[in-house]
Amino acid sequence: MAVSEVADGWRGRPLAAGGATGLDGAPESMPRAALTADARATGARSAMAAEAATIADGGGAVLSAVDFHLWYPGLHALRGITLDLPPSRITAIIGPSGCGKSTFLRSLNRMNDRIPGIVTQGRILFRGTDIFAPQVDPVALRRRIGMVFQRPVVFPMSIFDNVAYAPRIHRLERTSAGMWVRVERCLRDAGLWDEVKDRLRRPASALSGGQQQRLAIARALAVDPEVILLDEPTSAVDPVATGRIEDTLLRLAGRFSIVIVTHNLGQAARISQHTVFFLGGEVVEAGATEEVFSQPRDTRTEQYLTGRFG
Amino acid sequence: MRTPPARRVRNALAVTLAWVAVCAALFPLLDMAVLVARHALPALRFKVLTTVTSGIAGGLANAIAGSALLVVFAAVIAIPVGVLGGTFVAEQRSGAFVRTVRMAADVLAGLPSIAVGYFGYIALVQALGWGFSALAGALALALLMLPYVVRTTDYAVAAVSDDLRDASLALGVDPTTTVRRIVLRAALPGIVTGVMLGVGVAVGETAPLLYTASWSSFMPTGRLTHSPVGYLTYVVWTYINQPFAAAHALAYAAAFLLMVAVLMLNVAARWALGQRS
Repeated sequence: MAVSEVADGWRGRPLAAGGATGLDGAPESMPRAALTADARATGARSAMAAEAATIADGGGAVLSAVDFHLWYPGLHALRGITLDLPPSRITAIIGPSGCGKSTFLRSLNRMNDRIPGIVTQGRILFRGTDIFAPQVDPVALRRRIGMVFQRPVVFPMSIFDNVAYAPRIHRLERTSAGMWVRVERCLRDAGLWDEVKDRLRRPASALSGGQQQRLAIARALAVDPEVILLDEPTSAVDPVATGRIEDTLLRLAGRFSIVIVTHNLGQAARISQHTVFFLGGEVVEAGATEEVFSQPRDTRTEQYLTGRFG
Repeated sequence: MRTPPARRVRNALAVTLAWVAVCAALFPLLDMAVLVARHALPALRFKVLTTVTSGIAGGLANAIAGSALLVVFAAVIAIPVGVLGGTFVAEQRSGAFVRTVRMAADVLAGLPSIAVGYFGYIALVQALGWGFSALAGALALALLMLPYVVRTTDYAVAAVSDDLRDASLALGVDPTTTVRRIVLRAALPGIVTGVMLGVGVAVGETAPLLYTASWSSFMPTGRLTHSPVGYLTYVVWTYINQPFAAAHALAYAAAFLLMVAVLMLNVAARWALGQRS
């Protein structure tokens, strides 16, 4: 797979397909150069992207799984996932129910640690470090890899306190003025500010489902994560709210590496630059979204995309 | 579409039965409240609240102060232990130790309070040599409150959705802080209910105090040991048996004050919860 083969259809600028190489056992070292080239192209656009370029130079994928297996008691849920997730991009993980995509997502920030009886094998590298290495603290890891869940969850406190909750615990701001700036920035980034700026002290539970989900995104942004994982974030909200959340994610792409699990193929096509297709606990296909959707290389991908199963 | 007649009859029957059950539950409560109030109100003078008991008459100042002292003291012991224990059990979720603690709490809740009193007498009053005292009485009361606090906290914490825990952990917040800042906050209404139940039980107990706090017609001295303490339930229990109208009046007054205290605690707790949200 050559770099030139892959174009980022969504924005019409080159997308390194490198991240997709986990596929078919291709060596993970291959995409590095590709990603670097891509990062340079992007780097011209903004300082933020330039930073991404440095990161890309330093290691390519932000997260990589290397022959990663996961067993629930009596179920081999992930069967040798090898996959690179590119930085500063939206990667969509698609696949039928029960294919392991949410399990994989929850492995990336070790949220699965909480489920008793889970066994894993293989490695997941975050910026080159195995997240399962004994010296890695999952609590610290989760601060750098944030997560938004399927069902909107708000803490039983005000809108403001929902966003300020984690920054307070992590002591990210020394002054209350600083905290206000941070909360406003995160709510703006999540596209919620205009709707809530007059009622920041009201209970967050009074917000609608779609607003609660954007509040959850704002809350995740508030600890300055590098990666944001989203597990079917729009499956419990209406189409208008879904549109707002998608707009939010598009605005955030480039500044954060975003991985979204979705059942909504249209959503994957609309917002992601990179698509991974899971089936039966394995990665069937991964690549530029444009490619995966228009010219899937595997017949199973094609069958899934055309609605013949799943 | 009309509702079939048979279903309407059954519905009416069920609603009627529900109302009968509600009345059957409420009637004894109201009857008792009215009875106590009718006997107590004529006897309740301001002097009753400010003077100590003497013989079969006098006031209740010593008993009010003693009851407050014992209950506050017991609560200070039982609430932290009970809330922490209940939270621990709920967060651990399973295992032999958790099952043992839950069973122990249930057994303790079913223990006759006189047994707790006697245990307090043997262990605290005699073996530890504290004598009849506020400390022994408060510990006996705390032991009775504990299972209510543990079990309701356990239920309330276990009922908090894992979504909330996950959402906090996903922000890189450690599990302990997550429990303290999110789980306990979400479980607070349930915990407060348990604490109120426990305090209510403690306020109304007589048996465990007879052997531990004994009785005193003087104001509490402030000494924790070797100094018996008076309390309201003792007045109810003893003075109602005396063949004197003045003693009866005092007993009803004490019972009335106990009822009002429990009611006020509940109202205050609900008000405080309402203020929060």
